Amino acid sequence: MTDISKNTLDKIKKENVHPIPRHYFLFKRSVLWILFGLSIFFGSIASGIAIFLLTRVEWDVSHYLARSFIGFLLLVFPYFWLIFLLGFSIFSYIFFRHTEQGYRYKTAWIVLLSILLSIVGGALLHATKLPESLERVCEENVPFYHGLGKHRHKMWMSPHQGLLAGEITHIRSGAIIELEDLNGMKWTVHTGDAIWRGNLSPSENLQIKLIGQMKGDGQFVAYEIRPWEGQRHRGRIQRNRRMGTYR
Amino acid sequence: MTAKCSRETYETKSDEELVQLSIADVDAFYFLIKRYEPKILRYIRRMTGSKPDKAEDILQEIFLKVYRNLNSFDPTLKFSSWVYRIAHNEMINQYRKDKQTSGTVSLDDTDEIDLSAKLIYDEDIHKTYVYGETAEAVKKALQSLPVKYRDVLILRYFEDKDYNEISDILRKPPGTIATLLNRAKSKFKKIARQYQLDSPL
Repeated sequence: MTDISKNTLDKIKKENVHPIPRHYFLFKRSVLWILFGLSIFFGSIASGIAIFLLTRVEWDVSHYLARSFIGFLLLVFPYFWLIFLLGFSIFSYIFFRHTEQGYRYKTAWIVLLSILLSIVGGALLHATKLPESLERVCEENVPFYHGLGKHRHKMWMSPHQGLLAGEITHIRSGAIIELEDLNGMKWTVHTGDAIWRGNLSPSENLQIKLIGQMKGDGQFVAYEIRPWEGQRHRGRIQRNRRMGTYR
Repeated sequence: MTAKCSRETYETKSDEELVQLSIADVDAFYFLIKRYEPKILRYIRRMTGSKPDKAEDILQEIFLKVYRNLNSFDPTLKFSSWVYRIAHNEMINQYRKDKQTSGTVSLDDTDEIDLSAKLIYDEDIHKTYVYGETAEAVKKALQSLPVKYRDVLILRYFEDKDYNEISDILRKPPGTIATLLNRAKSKFKKIARQYQLDSPL
């Protein structure tokens, strides 16, 4: 019978085989943990932007657009970022699974934990305003994402449901304004009983959103007038018009 | 440079101590090989059904890999689990390389009786097997199982590994191992019936 132990030892010596250095394994483990951390970080950015978009949703207009709150939630949910969050959670699962002890945990638990970590990270990032800036960068530079933003804004183009958005083109009197909506259609808006939110006062070129009632072709009675997505979004309507994205 | 120990000193060292010694002194590795050689060789033969020569080649390849990767050994694991893991991976590699080779599962007669007895007394197995079945039939029944099921059955019932050890060897969660084992047992029972191993007592 062959002495396998001796033969193996001889082969190790003859072929000058050496143990792979410890730092190689240390490096490999570190890379895995770094990749895991990066996946969580990018997942946090995705969830941070999703949180930002959800905080910007005007929940009080839900009944104008959907029959139920769930229906409205499905309409405004930031799916794009949710897909990113899930994608990065799957990456983090793959990297974690390959760590030394990663195999001991069930797939569902790892994915769930990754999502939770990303949501917590996203909430923390949301406080730093980073997601808001990144969302703006995406909206301004990524054509596909810009299209998604357009879809969100289009929700306000539902005059039959009592929602309208556009730019004041002329102020006829204190109670009547002329408005060009996102599609370029002219409207006469009665604002006599309207509440102006966000310290707004009527002025030409002001971009606004209106809640009210359509009274016929080109006639709208406003109950409430809101600024168009706050100060930072000023000029977006014009840019969109220039790009022809609302037509 | 570490001072070389005597043969007796090496033999009394724990696996983990021998790993550390082997990194500095290749001769210490001889005692680790010696310690695991019979177990791993049996495991290879049970898993692959290879002829002795082929099994010894696989064994040598496994120990070369063990030696190369000594620095990656995680002391929170049992050394035996780590060696079995390397052996398992090497056999999977061999299996992929050599798919056309269909060896038979290698079981001694005592192995066959062991397996039957263990399955009989396993609380999850409700149907029992008579003791009189032939080793050949058990071999064929095991042989017919997919590798993943054969693997867990062999580790649990031949190598006497517990769920956590099997989990460490196969790098799967212990819960998955339990599920895999249950499926393997019911598959084995089904196949065993075809080989008439399931006459009720």
